[in-house]
Amino acid sequence: MPSSQTDLLQGTLDLLILKSVALEELHGMGISRRIMQITNGTFEVKAGSLFPALYRMEEAGWLTSFWGEAETNRRAKFYRLTKTGKKQLQTESDRWERISLAMASALRATREAS
Amino acid sequence: MIQYCRALFRNLRHRQALNEELDEELSAYVESVVKDKVCRGISPEEAIREARLEIGGLEQVKQGVRDARKGAFVEGLMQDLRYALRTLAGSFGFSSIIVLTLALGIGANSAIFTLFNGVLLKPLPYPDSTRLVMLWETLVRNGALDGVAPANYYDWHRETHSFEKMAAIDPYPDFILTGSGSAQRLAGAAVSQEFFSLLGVHMALGRDFLPEEDKPGSRQAVILSYSTWMRLFGGRTDVVGQSIRLNDASYSIVGVLPRNFYLVSKAADYQSRNRIDIWTPLALPSPPAAWQRGTHPLCVFARLKPGISLQQAQADLNVVAGNLQLLYPNDDKDRGIAATPLESHVVEGIRVALFTLLAAVVMVLLLACANIANLMLTRGAARQKEIAVRIALGAGRMRIARQLLTESLVLSLVGGSLGFAILLVSVPALVRHLPADVPRAADVSIDWRVVLFTSLLSILTGILFGLVPLYQARRVSANDSLKQGGGAVAADHSRVQNSLTVAQLAIAVILLAGAGLMTKSLWRLTEVSPGFRTDHILTARLSLPPQYANGFVFGTGKHPRISQFEDELLQRMRAVPGVQSAAFASYLPMSGVDNSWAFYIAGRAPNPPGVFDVTHYRPVSAGYFETMGIPVLRGRTFSESDTDGSPLEVVINETMARTWWGSQTPVGQHIRFGDQHWRTVIGVVGDVHHDSLADTPEPDMYVPYGQVPNVEARPVIVVRTAIEPDSVVSALRSAVSDVDPNVPIDQIESMKQLVYGSESESRFRTAFVLTFAFLALFVASIGLYGVMSYSVTQRTREFGIRIAIGATRGAVLRAVLARAAKFVCIGVCVGVAGALVLTRLIASLLFGVRPVDISIFVSVPVLLIAIAFIASYFPAKRASSVNPMDALRYE
Repeated sequence: MPSSQTDLLQGTLDLLILKSVALEELHGMGISRRIMQITNGTFEVKAGSLFPALYRMEEAGWLTSFWGEAETNRRAKFYRLTKTGKKQLQTESDRWERISLAMASALRATREAS
Repeated sequence: MIQYCRALFRNLRHRQALNEELDEELSAYVESVVKDKVCRGISPEEAIREARLEIGGLEQVKQGVRDARKGAFVEGLMQDLRYALRTLAGSFGFSSIIVLTLALGIGANSAIFTLFNGVLLKPLPYPDSTRLVMLWETLVRNGALDGVAPANYYDWHRETHSFEKMAAIDPYPDFILTGSGSAQRLAGAAVSQEFFSLLGVHMALGRDFLPEEDKPGSRQAVILSYSTWMRLFGGRTDVVGQSIRLNDASYSIVGVLPRNFYLVSKAADYQSRNRIDIWTPLALPSPPAAWQRGTHPLCVFARLKPGISLQQAQADLNVVAGNLQLLYPNDDKDRGIAATPLESHVVEGIRVALFTLLAAVVMVLLLACANIANLMLTRGAARQKEIAVRIALGAGRMRIARQLLTESLVLSLVGGSLGFAILLVSVPALVRHLPADVPRAADVSIDWRVVLFTSLLSILTGILFGLVPLYQARRVSANDSLKQGGGAVAADHSRVQNSLTVAQLAIAVILLAGAGLMTKSLWRLTEVSPGFRTDHILTARLSLPPQYANGFVFGTGKHPRISQFEDELLQRMRAVPGVQSAAFASYLPMSGVDNSWAFYIAGRAPNPPGVFDVTHYRPVSAGYFETMGIPVLRGRTFSESDTDGSPLEVVINETMARTWWGSQTPVGQHIRFGDQHWRTVIGVVGDVHHDSLADTPEPDMYVPYGQVPNVEARPVIVVRTAIEPDSVVSALRSAVSDVDPNVPIDQIESMKQLVYGSESESRFRTAFVLTFAFLALFVASIGLYGVMSYSVTQRTREFGIRIAIGATRGAVLRAVLARAAKFVCIGVCVGVAGALVLTRLIASLLFGVRPVDISIFVSVPVLLIAIAFIASYFPAKRASSVNPMDALRYE
């Protein structure tokens, strides 16, 4: 797999996680549900990608975690955005917007416009 | 960065806690997924099943998280290490065999490499040593190198243009030191003024010789070697400027050489003397006298100008040689000049022996590697299930490969460290047992090259045999292995394993054959009769002060003072209880000193110019032949009455008689050498091995001490005793000091020691190769044992079935042994073929044995077969005692 594609996918996942945690503090399952919800079911994040990403982002200092009580009445690990995380979300969102605008205009291009 | 370090630290430190948290987090996640599904109306059982499918393996998720963490690599490495140590400790017998094999292989290799490094690889201990050359006169007739005449050196120095510096050394002068305690002999060398600066040596104390000190009749200056300075002056720094008495004259000490200076040389150049105690200026007259073109005592060193190649220098020398041939036809007519690099000159003789040792030891290492690879394969097969399970549990192939490589590296590093320990112990022992004539023995030590060599060797062997199980693991599929219990892959790799076993056996045969030949040749040597009796003889060297030669005139043999001293000493010694006889000789067999003269036979046509009849020259006193036990074949030998006043006589040996007189009797014939006096041949005696037992006897001519043409100032006394020779040493010492306390006595040795010492190089070499050969035999038999054991284990079920359906246990035993016999036969055939080729290369090291010696080439395979039989008997025995019920239940 070419690495550019991996980066893009990883960037996407990170952005989605940051975004969902920015709205409220969530545990793993919650994040997964939230992503599904905010992308209208387009992205379904499996545990195999979710948890490594959470740990990586926590180590990068974007997220912190704490133990709280889940709806199943048992301990679950919740994630919260840090200051760095907020900044990261901002830059990532800007970047993503630029890319998606560029992509959109590129795809709309017609023979007359060129 | 700080964040990173903190994460790394936390991950490594709290790994256990983190893992538990992850477990809990994941199980909460699973519960949520299940609950979601149940809420959507799916039955709880179905929900759990679906959740599992969705998540796709909790272990894989966990591994994904672990890999995503910082420090995953370090953690993995430590995990690998821990796992490796646990696995290896678990199979302790296996690991220790491997570690031991490796330690021996690496230790032996590094030890020989240390020797090799010291003698052949290290640069000479002089700055810019590649530009140093030695210059020799050559005989045009056969290209043989000869010493240099002082007058020729003088001309070379003036007429060549290729050299930055040229200097000469006369390594022969001896000095007798008096004035402090008992007289002692110092080994001296006279050097031209630029000698030390040419080698790039700076004095530790004082200064080098000055140009004006290198002139005849100048103030007598000396430079001390470091050890002489320590020995005589206890390292006192005020010795510079002090005077010492040498040869009854006063010399002034001008400098002390540094501790690490020594003259790199080949023993043969300086008559077995690698140590020089004291240095004086050569003080050659300028220009030298005419007679100094006819004697060749000098060794000449030179330093090439930068940018001048050896070939260019040689061309320059050839021009000079051509001129000298025209100018001085009498002396230089058939003489050329040759330049040899100092480095290669020094190690010339020892190269073959060292390469033999190196080849032997490399074979041992190869064999050790083959053996270890074999054992790893055996174990790898047993571990296929384990590996399959790990793959099934989510381990990546890279991860497995890394794990296996870690195990091999741990083994090789432990083996390597143990090998290094062996090296540390063995090098001092090795140096102690080095034959005296090995050049550059002082340079044999463990340095960074050796450490690097050992480390690289350990790592390389680790990777080498680590690759084998990797190759095996490459094709493990989780499914197949779990289903079939590893049987499928076994067939594939057994071919590799079988060829490794055959290779080991073949290498063992080659080494054993080489060692056998060398041992046999050493044994042959001890059977050689040296031509004299070696038991009950004591020898010692005396050094007569120069004033003993006062009034001596060359050629007439008149030196009453020497004769008087010798007569008196012999009388005293013959009176000592236990002494049967005593005599003097100048050039004792096996003592490393020699001399030759050209001679002429009366009544024969003169030889064409440039062709000489040459014979070894042996001044001896009356009683020498009786004392040494050299048989008299014809005529008679000398008596006490053969002195300067009586008719001149010589005794010759059998080879000389046969060479020049054939079947005729030489007794009564006349020969002449050195001067114009004809001497009568009065007897023929048996041949004597002079240099070593391996040489062929050459023509010898014995001359009575009273009639020698020049001064023999270093006589060796030979005492034949009825009791242990060592017990008359003190009597000999006191006899010498009674006659003249100023005569030093040294090199006190029994004849047995001298003969033993003359073979030390070949004994050393043989002992080594023999050790390696047995090491190889041992390792190869372990290898065979391993392979046979493994195949028996693999076939336990088969044997069980065979026995169950009626095969006798004897038949099973025979079947296993037959399989072993196949390996051994192929191994022996390959080995014998290899040995037939390789032993030719060591032909020059053999004596009295041809490289293809039937007895060796028969007994080595027999020995190997016997050992191989023992090594495979035990696995075979085990196969035949298989209980059919157990075997069928197996797996």
